[in-house]
Amino acid sequence: MSSIMLSMNEPAAASQTDPRAGKYLTFQLANEEFGIRVLKVREIMGLQEITAVPQTPAHVKGVINLRGKVVPVIDLRLKFGMATAEYTQRTCIIVTQVQGESASVLMGIIVDGVSEVLNLTAAEIEDTPDFGEAVAGQYLLGMAKVKGKVKILLDIDRVLSTQDLHNLNAIVH
Amino acid sequence: MPHSPELRRQIEDLALRLVVEDSDDGRPASVWIPALEQIRDSALREQAGPVSAAATAILDEINAAGEPDDETGRVAGVLQEGFTRLQQALDLEPQPVAVPDLQISQDPELLSDFILESREHLAAIEAQVLTIERDPKDAEALNSVFRGFHTIKGLAGFLELWEVQKLAHEVETVLDLARNSQLTITPAATDVILQGADYLRRWVTHLDLTLQKQPSAAPPRDEPLLVRIHALAAGRPASEPAPAGLAVMAGAVETPPAEEAPASPAAPARAARRNDSATRSETMAVKVDTAKLDYLVDMAGEMVIAESLVRHDAELGALKSQKLQRKIAQLTRITAELQKTAMAMRLVPIGPLFRRMARLVRDLSRQFGKRVEMETQGDQIELDRNIVEELADPLMHMVRNALDHGLEPPEERQAHGKNPTARLLLKAQHQAGQVVIEISDDGRGLNRERIQSKAIERGLIAAGDGLADTEIYNLIFLPGFTTAAEVTNVSGRGVGMDVVRRHIEKLRGRIEIRSTPGSGSTFLLKLPLTLAIIDGLVVGVGEERYIVPLFAVREMFRPAPETIWTVQQRDEMALVRGSLMPVLRLYRRFRVAPRSEDPLQSVLVVAEVEGQRFCILVDELIGKQEVVIKTLGEMFRNVAGVAGGAILGDGRVGLILDLDRLFKEKSADAAH
Repeated sequence: MSSIMLSMNEPAAASQTDPRAGKYLTFQLANEEFGIRVLKVREIMGLQEITAVPQTPAHVKGVINLRGKVVPVIDLRLKFGMATAEYTQRTCIIVTQVQGESASVLMGIIVDGVSEVLNLTAAEIEDTPDFGEAVAGQYLLGMAKVKGKVKILLDIDRVLSTQDLHNLNAIVH
Repeated sequence: MPHSPELRRQIEDLALRLVVEDSDDGRPASVWIPALEQIRDSALREQAGPVSAAATAILDEINAAGEPDDETGRVAGVLQEGFTRLQQALDLEPQPVAVPDLQISQDPELLSDFILESREHLAAIEAQVLTIERDPKDAEALNSVFRGFHTIKGLAGFLELWEVQKLAHEVETVLDLARNSQLTITPAATDVILQGADYLRRWVTHLDLTLQKQPSAAPPRDEPLLVRIHALAAGRPASEPAPAGLAVMAGAVETPPAEEAPASPAAPARAARRNDSATRSETMAVKVDTAKLDYLVDMAGEMVIAESLVRHDAELGALKSQKLQRKIAQLTRITAELQKTAMAMRLVPIGPLFRRMARLVRDLSRQFGKRVEMETQGDQIELDRNIVEELADPLMHMVRNALDHGLEPPEERQAHGKNPTARLLLKAQHQAGQVVIEISDDGRGLNRERIQSKAIERGLIAAGDGLADTEIYNLIFLPGFTTAAEVTNVSGRGVGMDVVRRHIEKLRGRIEIRSTPGSGSTFLLKLPLTLAIIDGLVVGVGEERYIVPLFAVREMFRPAPETIWTVQQRDEMALVRGSLMPVLRLYRRFRVAPRSEDPLQSVLVVAEVEGQRFCILVDELIGKQEVVIKTLGEMFRNVAGVAGGAILGDGRVGLILDLDRLFKEKSADAAH
């Protein structure tokens, strides 16, 4: 699957005014569709054995071996407070490259299934409506409407910010 | 500081000659070289950086232009142009000291290359100078020191580090004289050269700090040193303020570099071997980014796992083909060799570190008025680069201690019928997959009574404890423990041995003492080959597997009913060979479901942390495995009790236990 990804990595042809325009990988969580920037994606892999790390929040599933590198894996459903679901044949791990505190790091996210790669134009992207404080709006880049469907565009750097985790740790202790 | 009239006069003279003699077409450009060199040298001496740079530029152009006669017109042009620049430079306000801002504006990459290279050269210089001191006629060593200073000078000029360039230039002049047999390197001269190297090292450190954006002041110019160097070059005896009485010790002998140490072969063979090693280190070294190395090691590790998966594949095994088996065996050999090589790439020989100690021994022996001959063995033994770096401090402490406390002054040695020249041996060797570094002296040995009485006085032990020798000796590792009657600037403040032990333990090593009163003591440092690999005991708890660092494991066994005792129903203790130690149930601590909560169905692993033992209760022992330590990354930075991860034989990640924190936070848990 990763070879397909590579061919998608060429710079976005259309240089619209909206910096959010470009290619997105979309995936599902429950009945919702999400998108993350293709440039952030390193690899898509099937589910594999995850080694649990003690004293971490429930959404941190543990670590996997990615060709000799130890990579943390997050269950995105749990991270977003959705109901847990059984892992199926379609469940997979998207390995993303996100900005860590000092350098960029690899991190895996578990999603229900990967859909497709979309080339989104500025016209298709809208700002996130104001939901009040109930929805974690800081994770969102915006919303996209494609063929009558809504895709939620995630700022994956923010979603996987480790700072968050450390704050959480501090509360737990 | 304005330019001296002399420099101005030299340049004006040259200008005049240029105008008067320019018409004379037949003269080759080379006639200008001596005058230009003179200007460059005076400019260097006066810190007139721009002037010396301009002069050097003209010289380079003349040299590049070569001799052909039809080129003289062009050369004249070059001269004219260069000369204008020279005059402009002269009119510039002199900028004697390179300001820190200026350095930052330098290409940081070039600067860091300079730092790296200079450090290498300085280390080589130090080692070779000590060789010269022993044998002033060693032309090879002399050349190598000269080359070191010369290279630093060149690089410094390129980076506009005028102070560095100037000093390197001065020392180079002295060395050049020595090379041409116009000057003999006396111990006093050695001192001056070494001080020059020290000064350059201070600069390098300053640059390094500046590069890391840390505050650091440029080392001030060492005028007295420059005067001494000049005096040396002029053939006058260097008037170093040598403390009285130490002049006698100037002859203190050392056996510095390396190669010749193990045996004492005949002299010609010795020289030859040194040459060999010199060429080897020059031709074979390649600088590689450590990240690339790590990646190579990762990939080699993955290949071993992939290979093992293929080898144990059931379908392949069912083929029962001898030819296939042979091919797979070949693959196995190659992968193992590849992994070994990848690992070995992180290793560096310990020799350079030993040579640094030679310098220390030289300086200290003169300071203390003791005669010491230092010998090194096993310089070629290789250790992880990080270990060698971390080892410098503890080794320095121990060498200092040996010279200060261990070794007696010559008169006392003679009175005891010993050779007035004391021996200090630094030796490295492989032993059972570890590297053992031995620091032994033939001095007084540890004073059991004095340590004991001091310990009793401080309430560390009771008078009638009846401790064994080793236990007494180990007392010196306690913080703040000292038996020195007076505090010197070298030792006796009681910081030292505890720091040494902490350092060594941080490197996952152990330290042992052997001592015989009257005939010396030996410190043994047992270190792992590398920090990247660890011998681990793989244990299972429920579905999870953890790796216990084997160096801390003392024993493991299945407990009997009378082994485990509860304390107030809260804590548990295990009775192992008559001593009680706390028990940590790993499944409780890590909140995983165990296979059995009954200790009798489980296994106890006895581990030792900083001299204290405790037991870890696990479900089962899976085996011993050598694993490559990997960090879990910033995400799991705060996870207590886990030191890192490792890829196990089946490709899964196993967590390496951090026994130190497990143990310490166990006590904290109990306090809740």
